[in-house]
Amino acid sequence: MVLFMAENLSGWESVFIFAAEWPGNRVRIPDSTRCCKFSIVSGAVIATEAAAFGKARRKRKVRKPAVRILTESADGIIGNEMKIIKNIYLAVVAALLATLTSCMRWDYADEGSDFDITAPGLFVINEGNFQYGNATLSFYNPADRTVENEVFLRANGMKLGDVAQSMTIHDGLGWVVVNNSHVIFAIDTDTFKERGRIENLTSPRYIHFVSDDKAYVTQIWDNRIFIVNPKTYSITGYITVPDMPQSSGSTEQMVQLGRYVYCNCWSYQNRIIKIDTLTDEVVASLTVGIQPTSLVIDRYDRLWTITNGGYAGSPYGYEEPALHRIDLETFTVDATYRFRLGDSPSEICINGAGDRLYWINDAVWEMDVTATGLPVRPFLASRDTKYYGLTIDPAGGDVYVADAIDYQQQGMIYRYTPGGELIDEFYTGITPGAFCWK
Amino acid sequence: MKGDQPHSHNLYSSSIVHCALKIFCALCIVHCAFDAESRQSDRTRALRGTRSLRELVVTAKRPMKDIGIQKTTFDSLALKENIALSMADVLTFGSSVYVKSYGRATLSTIAFRGTSPSHTQVTWNGMRINNPMLGMTDFSTIPAYFIDRASLLHGTSSVNETGGGLGGLVSLGTVADVDSGFNAQYVQGIGSFSTFDEFARLTYGDEHWTVSTRVVYSSSPNDYKYINHDKKVNIYDDDHNIIGSYHPRERNRSGAFKDFHILQEVYYNALNGNRFGVNAWYTGSNRELPMLTTDYGDERDFENRQRENTFRGILSWDRGGERLRFGLRGGYVHTWMAYDYNREVTEGNRVAMTRSRSRINTFFGRFDGTYNPSRRWIFTLGLAAHQHFVRSEDKQIILQEGGKDVVGYDKGRIELSASASVKWQATDRVGLSAVIREDMFGDRCAPLIPALFADALLSQKGNIMLRASVSKNHKFPSLNDLYFLPGGNPDLRSENGWTYDAGISFDTGAARPLPFSGGGGLTWFDSHISDWIIWLPTTKGFFSPRNVKDVHSYGLEGRLNVAFEPVKGWFVDMNGSYSWTPSINHGEKMSPADQSVGRQLPYVPKHSASLTGRLSWRSWSFLYKWAYYSERYTMSSNDYTLTGHLPEYFMSNISLEKNLSFKPVDLQLKLAVNNLFNEDYLSVLSRPMPGINFEFFIGITPKFNRKK
Repeated sequence: MVLFMAENLSGWESVFIFAAEWPGNRVRIPDSTRCCKFSIVSGAVIATEAAAFGKARRKRKVRKPAVRILTESADGIIGNEMKIIKNIYLAVVAALLATLTSCMRWDYADEGSDFDITAPGLFVINEGNFQYGNATLSFYNPADRTVENEVFLRANGMKLGDVAQSMTIHDGLGWVVVNNSHVIFAIDTDTFKERGRIENLTSPRYIHFVSDDKAYVTQIWDNRIFIVNPKTYSITGYITVPDMPQSSGSTEQMVQLGRYVYCNCWSYQNRIIKIDTLTDEVVASLTVGIQPTSLVIDRYDRLWTITNGGYAGSPYGYEEPALHRIDLETFTVDATYRFRLGDSPSEICINGAGDRLYWINDAVWEMDVTATGLPVRPFLASRDTKYYGLTIDPAGGDVYVADAIDYQQQGMIYRYTPGGELIDEFYTGITPGAFCWK
Repeated sequence: MKGDQPHSHNLYSSSIVHCALKIFCALCIVHCAFDAESRQSDRTRALRGTRSLRELVVTAKRPMKDIGIQKTTFDSLALKENIALSMADVLTFGSSVYVKSYGRATLSTIAFRGTSPSHTQVTWNGMRINNPMLGMTDFSTIPAYFIDRASLLHGTSSVNETGGGLGGLVSLGTVADVDSGFNAQYVQGIGSFSTFDEFARLTYGDEHWTVSTRVVYSSSPNDYKYINHDKKVNIYDDDHNIIGSYHPRERNRSGAFKDFHILQEVYYNALNGNRFGVNAWYTGSNRELPMLTTDYGDERDFENRQRENTFRGILSWDRGGERLRFGLRGGYVHTWMAYDYNREVTEGNRVAMTRSRSRINTFFGRFDGTYNPSRRWIFTLGLAAHQHFVRSEDKQIILQEGGKDVVGYDKGRIELSASASVKWQATDRVGLSAVIREDMFGDRCAPLIPALFADALLSQKGNIMLRASVSKNHKFPSLNDLYFLPGGNPDLRSENGWTYDAGISFDTGAARPLPFSGGGGLTWFDSHISDWIIWLPTTKGFFSPRNVKDVHSYGLEGRLNVAFEPVKGWFVDMNGSYSWTPSINHGEKMSPADQSVGRQLPYVPKHSASLTGRLSWRSWSFLYKWAYYSERYTMSSNDYTLTGHLPEYFMSNISLEKNLSFKPVDLQLKLAVNNLFNEDYLSVLSRPMPGINFEFFIGITPKFNRKK
């Protein structure tokens, strides 16, 4: 069946004709004085007597008629059916117009949710996908084993940003460093509502509090550590790292012992720097190995760092990764434990007692700080998992490891006892990479 | 836009079609290497009121070379509708392929049938122009005004032209067809956001020579306003307590662009079956990359800029004959790309955070031969070679021992492709075609790529045609996939898969005069792609590609085009397309907790549609364009979250055009309105798009040497 338009006295009418009935059929519009004859030429319908309407059209006094088709064949469409078809047609047209003018419906979650979670728990910082601005923050309550996802967006009615890197709690405020948004948000750790923000950062990675009114913010692609005043949310100065170019600059995690802050220099770097918090200057530098990823201090005030060794083809070098133990009294490496070339260890963590080290190297590994060699069996074997983040409950010693899966869906957090027994698992956000204990 | 090639419904009983067939045969001889199904249309002239633009109206029998092929062809009205349009814009509103746009004058990629942009092969005048580093093509850098013919070869059909098109092929080209004597055209567009578009064309034609020079220059600060729903601005009291907040109305930051293109073409027709051609296309692009909606950086502190200089040149020789025809092409592509991410550390002191440079030199050669010993047989042979030399420098570093070095790679790769086909018009109603293709990339050979095509004319009345095809295909990893530092994976396998097509189409053909014509089609497809390559983060802090997914995509593609003349002098032309494209991950679980298996791929809409409607009367023309994508998941698990939600996409554009004719010149006046309903939207997460915007165009066509 084919639709085309025919003119009658009151204007244009839609006419439906079965294709088989085209040639030579006559279509008569009631109230017109003559039929309109249609024929087919090369697949196109030709109105051969359209001019017949000329005089009648000028009268313009006839009521709008129903359309009937007179056909020489016995199977023509009768008038009532045509009305039904016409109504269907008009409904289709109306639906089409409605579709064409449809609007996109966005759910911006402008109205913030009211959280008030005073219980201790674990923040999970989900990086999201680089350049997609879909980082999120989750909060897990270990006591009742419940998780709230997207708490920053739900509490504040705005997104957290692009690549949430880390979080540090100080004086009741949680400081979330959002790397590619160039911002650090300070949030209330119970309500998750924003309390302030620090802007104008190059590419922030971690924040470390020296005091209530001074914190350091490390950067990538910058050879400066920013000094900020958390009370005024302002940048107050910089610590320039010696012998580090701006474009490939990289400062990463920070730990403090006494008046000194120690920081690993990671991307295309190979050293640990020592910062005097009184003078805000780098006072010493220690070469450890290619790309130290993370660091912790144990109960004996020794610094541990783990390098990833670079990658094959890197002009900076490619070597066996290593776990380094550093004597902070002398600021020298006093023990080095080598991994195999091609391994990719990262995320070194320590338990609350400061006597057991954990890290990710495909699997999750555990080692006593007094051990004299690397463990031969993992604490948690890899099960086709993509372990990406790791933390240890400082109170109970439970091990939390994040599986990023395919980095394009909500990651899974597995919670194990210190003995390696799985006791809970929960989904969070895309690419869970860091944790922060409240 | 037109769909698959229509067919003659009665070659011998209809005088009009018979006449058209003669025209087609003549075109085959003169334009043997080009699509011969197009010709000048009186109707187009009536639509436009001037003689400056052509529409391709097809009335002839479909060429045997298109046996069984699923093809979408764009007419010149769609391509030349607006000088400010890129091919990405044309494809958005003229087809149901998925155009993923990161914003105005920013990266826009094309994906067929639920595949990825790198699965779309793109040719320009027969030369593949996919970026060999990235594997994909940025359609935002291809001005539609430089393209005279464009078609989509869906799925298996791409095997006829090139390998690697797991999704399909976008075939672009120019045509040596200009009016005789000197002719010129100049169009200027002035639009919202201080946008200026300039287009000029100068042509000369005689019986031997065709010379054409085209220039396009587009520039804009591109600083449109939008409500940033991803951010809030805080209101503080004197003690720095937040007492309120609101979503700011921001400008698109760091989005300026300046694009310059020049295309020089010279053709010589020896009138003895030989034609020689030179095509030279230079692109100079200087674009800032817009800041994300979630970026709190100060735009004055950061510079995020991409520059590109690309030259594409082709020498061609086409020889036509009654039975034997061949074409020989040699080409060269040079691309220099620079990406700079700088920050102003202190006033006046900008420091590079990322300084990326890449140079690509590609040498190209191609031979196509066609032999048709009888009217029922055609044999073709194709040989193509691309030699790439790529130097990519991504970062400058200080070495451990001191001194500087760059992180990058310097590689070359030759890509050879050979194909042979036989096409048999078994009867007047049944056609069969078989293609065999062998691709070699570097020292790796793909298994033979077989493809079979068949079509059958069910009914001459309405040209009702059945088509079916099946093929295997392979897509080699791009050079970045293999060698990019850091992360390149030289152990990657080629992506590969089987694709099956079957469809039905009809076409009433065009009549003259034109009270009504219509066409349409529905195609089912089914495609299995294995070893799908995805870049994933690593624990070393960079991304690396891996063969991770097996994808089953299937669905339907439909199209409908209708043209009729409801009242004498009024012309209505409507084109619609629709795709239903489930694209499902059927790979192994990547982790015990993986929820992506059995789910739609992220950023692949299940439904997409487009509609254009043109109403013309005398020298007036009104155009309505509409595009639709269903909700796109941003997670492989298809979870719905507040952070990763992209709802259904509807977009409407309109334009009104008036042509004026004076003694010395023709004038074209046009007002285009984009985003008619002022939608506040994102196409990709964190990438703001402009609201309603306008552009006014004035075109001047001097009448050289014509009778006033």
